Amino acid sequence: MGDAEKAEKERRRIKSTEAMRELMTRYYIEAKTAGEKGVKVAWITSGGPVEPLYCFDVIPVYPENHGAMCGAAHMAVELAEKAEEKGFSRDICSYARCDFGSAYTQGGPIGGLPRPDFLVCCNNICNTVVKWYEELSRFFGVPLFIFDTPFVRGELSEHAARYEMEQMREYFAFLERATGREFDEGRFLEVAAKSLEAIGLWKEILSCAENVPSPMTCFDAFILMAPVVTLRGTDEVITFYRGLLEEMRQRVEEGIAIIPGERHRLLWDNIPIWYEMRNLGRLFMEERTCLVADTYTNAWTFDRVDVSRPLESLAEAYASIYLNIGLEQMLEQVVELAERFKVDGMIMHSNRSCKPYSLGQYDIARMFTRRTGLPALVIEADHTDSRVYDRADVETRIRHFLELL
Amino acid sequence: MDTGEITGLCLDIWRDPYGYCRGLRDKGQRPMAYFCSYAPEEIMHAAGFTPVRLMGAPRNISSADAHLQAYCCAVARSDLDLALEGELDWLEGAVFVQTCDTMMRLSDIWRLNASFPFHGDLSLPVRMGEGVSLDYLRNELRRFKDVLEGYAGSPITPEAVRNSIEVYNRNRQLAGEVYRLRRERTGVLGGLEGTACVVAGLWMRKEDHNRLLEELLQGLGEPAPAEATPPTPLFAAGSVCATPDLFELARELGADIVDDDFCCGHRYIEGLVELEGRDPLEGLAERISRRINCPAKHSAAKERSSWLAERIRECAAAGLVLFLQNFCEPWLFEVPFLKERMREEGIPTLVLESDLQSFSRGQLRTRLQAFLETIRGI
Repeated sequence: MGDAEKAEKERRRIKSTEAMRELMTRYYIEAKTAGEKGVKVAWITSGGPVEPLYCFDVIPVYPENHGAMCGAAHMAVELAEKAEEKGFSRDICSYARCDFGSAYTQGGPIGGLPRPDFLVCCNNICNTVVKWYEELSRFFGVPLFIFDTPFVRGELSEHAARYEMEQMREYFAFLERATGREFDEGRFLEVAAKSLEAIGLWKEILSCAENVPSPMTCFDAFILMAPVVTLRGTDEVITFYRGLLEEMRQRVEEGIAIIPGERHRLLWDNIPIWYEMRNLGRLFMEERTCLVADTYTNAWTFDRVDVSRPLESLAEAYASIYLNIGLEQMLEQVVELAERFKVDGMIMHSNRSCKPYSLGQYDIARMFTRRTGLPALVIEADHTDSRVYDRADVETRIRHFLELL
Repeated sequence: MDTGEITGLCLDIWRDPYGYCRGLRDKGQRPMAYFCSYAPEEIMHAAGFTPVRLMGAPRNISSADAHLQAYCCAVARSDLDLALEGELDWLEGAVFVQTCDTMMRLSDIWRLNASFPFHGDLSLPVRMGEGVSLDYLRNELRRFKDVLEGYAGSPITPEAVRNSIEVYNRNRQLAGEVYRLRRERTGVLGGLEGTACVVAGLWMRKEDHNRLLEELLQGLGEPAPAEATPPTPLFAAGSVCATPDLFELARELGADIVDDDFCCGHRYIEGLVELEGRDPLEGLAERISRRINCPAKHSAAKERSSWLAERIRECAAAGLVLFLQNFCEPWLFEVPFLKERMREEGIPTLVLESDLQSFSRGQLRTRLQAFLETIRGI
């Protein structure tokens, strides 16, 4: 690589990634040393209400995020095999298998997650987490709180909103028991406001990719989303995203494209194929194709939160996230993303590990094409189990798809 | 009909349930499909429909592959395929209850691609047996009743629901008696015949099924003389048995499934709806919430492994057969724990996976035979 090429590569590189690594490293060190400091640790699902945990000074830990890390580090399969040795079927979610394997062996890129004091499971992303957390509760012998969000078709019903609100109250009582502290409403409002600010910043950051050429791809967003998932409600996350937003705006202003000579713009659907990010990234770079938006990182951009009634509106927002709604509602969001980000087509990852995300994709793909006239390609993979992935087949299909654009 | 004719008829229905259902339509009934034992059949019945259960069929998939990936269960795939291939044209509609992720998505796919006049959804809570979800459940049943009323064009009165609950409660009592006779090994009814007589009711109007069960129970003769080597008693658990093969194989191999925890079997008939001093919908909600949960649901009150061990001891079964649908996450997640707990309880356990798309009776037979040999210490 010549000097000019190197300089150009450096110019295109997203600099905030380092700040994020530092932030996440600090977070994991704090989580892993929490026990020594007498700080409680809770394991929570990615769509779960995390704000109350920060309000009680509990450190939230995300097995799904950890699963993604293991996948990206190419360590998920050996961990999953540990769970399979204990009798878990290869047909259950590979995040869960990877997480069990790591809990049994303290294996993985960070030597396993810190032991939980209790568990918080919200089924707004899937029913699988209920089974997964039941097993964790048995394995660690710790209490489990389930925040139940029945599926929403159309509008959230009054009785469902009431049920969720009741559970929010229960959740606070559960946290009071688990931490021996009292609920502090002032603190909660403060945390909720920070969480909303972080979510707002994240939304703005994602929107920067509307620009042609785009300053980032959704593969960057997959990495850069870790703080908004794990740390929303804290000050650090706001500082970080302010910096990232500034960087993105600067890139837009200076016309720095993440993909030089951006030729195609695509939408990505479903969880990333974590172990294949680098290879696919290379392929899209070669094909001068930018994945400008995705349905996954947008799941953390609650639109309906009303700050004047934070508790109720948070409960409602958690109930109505992307995976907990009907197919037509999902289609509306996909079409909206396609239009806003001016894409030429969509790639859908049919993810063997995630039924609520994947079943229905064939229909969404057809409806999407009918509505927008844009093509959609479905590729088969798994978010962390690389044993079911056929690289040659997927890459050929993607290249053919791009040729037809 | 004598006992043999009744059990023969029921086995035929189990072998070809949807052929039987077509006949219901010809008799002027209005079959309405459901997929899950949590479905509020009493409300559907009170609205004048005949609730019938869809639980898959062994078949090669053609049309459904354009809508469902191969990594979801054969029940969902084959039910959708039947619908898209026009083999369920006798149906007036379908009611989906939120249980697992697959059924949740299947509902939308079904509504968008099949063309039946009625489509209903019921979003069940995942937390069962708790006060906090009971109120939600009651209201969700009320909402469902309103939707069904809107379609039927006439009100579903509390009296009608009450009457239907009485029909269903009677059915649970009669089926419970069939189960008792088989569990206590009275010699008058085996596991295969007993289960067939109960399962067949999934596709019959319950008044007719009640009459059939009454006739069966009245007609049961003297116990057969005890065999020199009595069959090895087994307990089976899982979701659904789309065919009687498991029960037939047990019989062929000198065993008998004396009790079960299938959602088309014992879990379906267990527990009556309380009517005393409450709104009928309230009674329905209470039964749904109280009963032993499907593994797709979370029960804080009842722990499945201890409950299963107790049931197995009660019927003195020599082993447990977990007969699971392929790709069924709710059950598959519980397998290692259940096996471990059964080991602690001294109950030998066999896990069999059912795949209706490449159904192999021979394979099932081999595995069951090996298991029985282990139990018998051969």
